[in-house]
Amino acid sequence: MKDFRLFDISDFVMDEDFIRWVNEKKKADNDFWDNWLSQYPGKYMVVAEARRILESIGTEQKVISEVEKQHEIKRLMQTIRENLQEPERKAPVVPVSKKWWYVAAASLFLIASTFTYWFVKQDKKPEKESAYAAITSSRHLVESINTSGKAITLRLPDQSTVELAANSRIAYANNFDSTDTRDVYLSGEGFFKVTKNPARPFRVFANEIVTKVLGTSFIVRSFDKDSVIQVTVRTGKVSVYSQGSANDKEINSNQLGGIILTPNQELVYEKLNQKFQKALLENPVVILPDATNPVNMLYEDVSLEKVFTQLSKTYGINIVYDNELLKKCTVTADLRNETFYRKLELICKAVGARYEIIDGQVVVQSSGCD
Amino acid sequence: MKEYSSKPDVNWLERLQQGDEEALASLMEMYYNDLYNYGSRFTKDDGLIKDCIQEVFISLWQRRETVGAILSPKYYFLRAIKNKVLKSLHKNKRNAASSHLPAEYVFFHEFPIERVIIEKQISEEKAEKVRRTLSLLSERQKEIIYLKYYQHLDHGQIAELMNISRQSVYNLLHETIHKLRSLWHSEFIAH
Repeated sequence: MKDFRLFDISDFVMDEDFIRWVNEKKKADNDFWDNWLSQYPGKYMVVAEARRILESIGTEQKVISEVEKQHEIKRLMQTIRENLQEPERKAPVVPVSKKWWYVAAASLFLIASTFTYWFVKQDKKPEKESAYAAITSSRHLVESINTSGKAITLRLPDQSTVELAANSRIAYANNFDSTDTRDVYLSGEGFFKVTKNPARPFRVFANEIVTKVLGTSFIVRSFDKDSVIQVTVRTGKVSVYSQGSANDKEINSNQLGGIILTPNQELVYEKLNQKFQKALLENPVVILPDATNPVNMLYEDVSLEKVFTQLSKTYGINIVYDNELLKKCTVTADLRNETFYRKLELICKAVGARYEIIDGQVVVQSSGCD
Repeated sequence: MKEYSSKPDVNWLERLQQGDEEALASLMEMYYNDLYNYGSRFTKDDGLIKDCIQEVFISLWQRRETVGAILSPKYYFLRAIKNKVLKSLHKNKRNAASSHLPAEYVFFHEFPIERVIIEKQISEEKAEKVRRTLSLLSERQKEIIYLKYYQHLDHGQIAELMNISRQSVYNLLHETIHKLRSLWHSEFIAH
């Protein structure tokens, strides 16, 4: 077993297991690295940098078209068959450019293969099971379609509300009465405010992904024409799964599993690559209700730990840093009217640190203060 | 060696040995993309790359009785295409047949840097710096990155393909990563 504690940035960048995690983001690897990083938070920055380097290297290659490839295979087959009759001679490859009749043959083939391709495609592509239409058509559901051109607010049987965006539709079982869960099917965009009921999870099915909550507010955006599905959390916690994955049991339970999102976090699901990515909102909003406990962000010689704790609470965003290393740092600043990122910038500047956003968290790195 | 489809290949090679044309076609189907991509690192001449790939498979067919010696088809194909392409580039240039390969060649490789720049919302001025640093990587540094991260070859195979020792592979990789590292390092210091 490798001891990743001894790894420096280069070691990570060269390690097969690490590369696989960054490139493929498989669940098992995610779990391993989340767990490992929570054990060794001091390694966060090294891992982040190694990831960044790998991301800048990339892995995607230009893909040659299927038609071109089939054409080349046919050309090869032709050559070796012609060659059977004259086994003594070394087969010369006829250069693409010189063989004029080849062009004619190729275009014929192109036409032929286009047809085959079309028919195969037709055969092989049944309606995706997770698509909105496929799910809703087979059940008796109440459906609301918003054709009004602007957002409308609907009340669901459990008193939850949904603000349905223009050109969006939603469907659910009458009274939610048939199951242990409150299931809603969405095509388009909806902002949900869900009434608390831990015994009956509230689930939104939006094409490939399922968002599950016990009681909270969040936005799901899933238009068929878009290449991504987005889930954004305002309050509370939600968990997101991909449909048809091995998680069916988890989706049905009343525990939160899958990918957990907290306030000001956003999850982007790329349909093409079936990849999830967690991010922070561009402009995070304060989640503490002002009335209960307004935090006064005017600091004079206040310990960094306290400043970070308050910032973290105010926005519900996790901030990772090495407390031991930064315990001597203090902050003097007026952060009352700044945006979240501006606050973060000013604090980091004050203590000579830098920060990065990784998986929807803020990771701070510094060499400490004297 | 991480080869994503090593099991089915073994079967194809056996069938090829028995003179099965279908097996040859399947191997081409499987590796065409990798070969075309690697070939296009040495030349932009699309026709030349395709002809070279044809030749690689024809000579594999002609020597099909001996394919039992091939341990990793992918490595075999990549090596063959590199030799073929470099040789025919050389031939075109000198206009005379020459059996040895040129030691110096150009290796084209574009990093997906524009995408990273957009995703991370890096300013234009910084993006320019990033581009400059990447363009400073040597041909060999680009090739080693390509073989390791795009073709997933192991260090031993990279060494043979690039005609250098295993230790040199490690050193070169280290050096390259160090360069990339300084790049991102200066990029994310808070200002």
